[in-house]
Amino acid sequence: MPEPKLSEELKRMEEEYEPLLPVEWKLISYTFTAGVVLLVVLVVVSRLFI
Amino acid sequence: MPTSTKKAARTQISSSAGAPPPQPRMTEDWLAVCIGLFVFLVSLALLFRVDLLGWATTISVWTVPGKSLAPASAAYAKVPHLISLLGTFAFLLVVLAFGARALRISVGRFVQKFTVIFALSYVCWWLGSWAYIAATPDKRHALGVGWSLNLTNESGYIIALLAGLVVANFLPGVTGWMQEALRPELYIKSAIVLLGGFLGITALSQQRLASTIVMQGVCAIVCAYLIFWPVVYYVARRWFGFSREWAAPLASGISICGVSAAIATGSAIRARPVVPVMVSSLVVVFSVVEILVLPFVAGHYLYSQPLVAGAWMSLAVKTDGAAVASGAIADSLVHARALGAGLQFQPGWTLGVATTVKVFIDIFIGVWAFVLAWVWSAKIERRNEQVRARQIWERFPKFILGYVATFLLVLILGALFPDLVPRIKSAMGEANIFRTLFFVLTFFAIGAVSNFRRLWQEGIAKLAGVYVLCLFGFIIWVGLLISWLFFHGVLPPTVKG
Repeated sequence: MPEPKLSEELKRMEEEYEPLLPVEWKLISYTFTAGVVLLVVLVVVSRLFI
Repeated sequence: MPTSTKKAARTQISSSAGAPPPQPRMTEDWLAVCIGLFVFLVSLALLFRVDLLGWATTISVWTVPGKSLAPASAAYAKVPHLISLLGTFAFLLVVLAFGARALRISVGRFVQKFTVIFALSYVCWWLGSWAYIAATPDKRHALGVGWSLNLTNESGYIIALLAGLVVANFLPGVTGWMQEALRPELYIKSAIVLLGGFLGITALSQQRLASTIVMQGVCAIVCAYLIFWPVVYYVARRWFGFSREWAAPLASGISICGVSAAIATGSAIRARPVVPVMVSSLVVVFSVVEILVLPFVAGHYLYSQPLVAGAWMSLAVKTDGAAVASGAIADSLVHARALGAGLQFQPGWTLGVATTVKVFIDIFIGVWAFVLAWVWSAKIERRNEQVRARQIWERFPKFILGYVATFLLVLILGALFPDLVPRIKSAMGEANIFRTLFFVLTFFAIGAVSNFRRLWQEGIAKLAGVYVLCLFGFIIWVGLLISWLFFHGVLPPTVKG
């Protein structure tokens, strides 16, 4: 199979938009929330105990 | 980079092109471990009072060209400098020629190309050590110069990078000719294995500080990437309309660790090879821009917080080579500016933090690729196939084992035999010459593989849009905040006197 050209790929994506699936929303929101919560917890823990 | 995934991508590309290349005897990751450990072990002969690397030549900051080169050990002071330089080149050439053979590259062709790359890189390093460019304020008087750019002799890296960029963008035929020896990942990974021993000896005197850095480093990268990845993925999907196949490698490439992460993610979600390859090209180009800007910003504003500067370099600058290289430049610039402000920090800690954090980032890539492989397989594409934990090991960047081995060996040797510490220091000093050479080669190679014109012609502008927006609008600043939160107030030891 020949490798597609990037410009053609980008054009195709504009024509055929893939909507965000609920599972992608979950992946985004859960990961982001986990990052922020861990940041707060680990900063507090590191300042107190490390 | 997890070379198994890189190899898989290359294999798929080549099979689609027709003629598969011969399978290498070992991956670039394992080869870097072998090269780094070999140089490290040869240097350790000094523990038995056998100085096998003392003839290796290094470049000092110079005003008179004839006095710029000197062998590492005083025992070889009478060796003519040119012979010492040729010996250094020959040693590296022989070691890397064995490496080329292991990668099934024509040794004859590799030797020709590496010779040119070495010569160009070495000249850049030499130029960067000219006193008017490199001298720090405390050395100007001794060198007899009234002014200098205060860039330290690490500026040779920047010159090598610029030289590589000139070759890539104005002499593409030359870049094509040099291709087999342009191996930034191999050079930087070998350097990182050697760096382990150098940082081990630094950590030996400050074990509590070193363990704090490890703990804080792990905390920083977990938080950073759990925040970075979803934001970049969202921006790529919603604002720029990228498909899942493009958005996931792009998010990993921009937010985690550039080339390695893009390829590991591409493999995890079964993207076509062109996707991570294109994202990787973009990552390399932007890492060049970052190297040219961020270490100088860190040197200017973070000179009183060297560890924050180091962590920031590894969280903000993508790809192993560029991040560790930025750490090295930031280390020198921070040190030089701190000296000017009367702060005599022990050098090496900014680079140490940058490398430590980067190593944990590389470990994190395998875990994250595993998570994505499971999400894509079970939830998005519902492929109904089992994702095995073994994939974490397959994507694990093996050169880290070399780094950990040299770090621990030096730490344990020094702790068990305190009398040997001065000799271990000398041995690591000699090995460090080759680490620096690998750095210079990395910089030149990074520049030489960054063909801006070709990427633009291929329509990379939209991908670059996501990169610019996320990197400069978000990642750099959040990375700085996280580095500040975890490393602010954690200071390296000061040099007495």
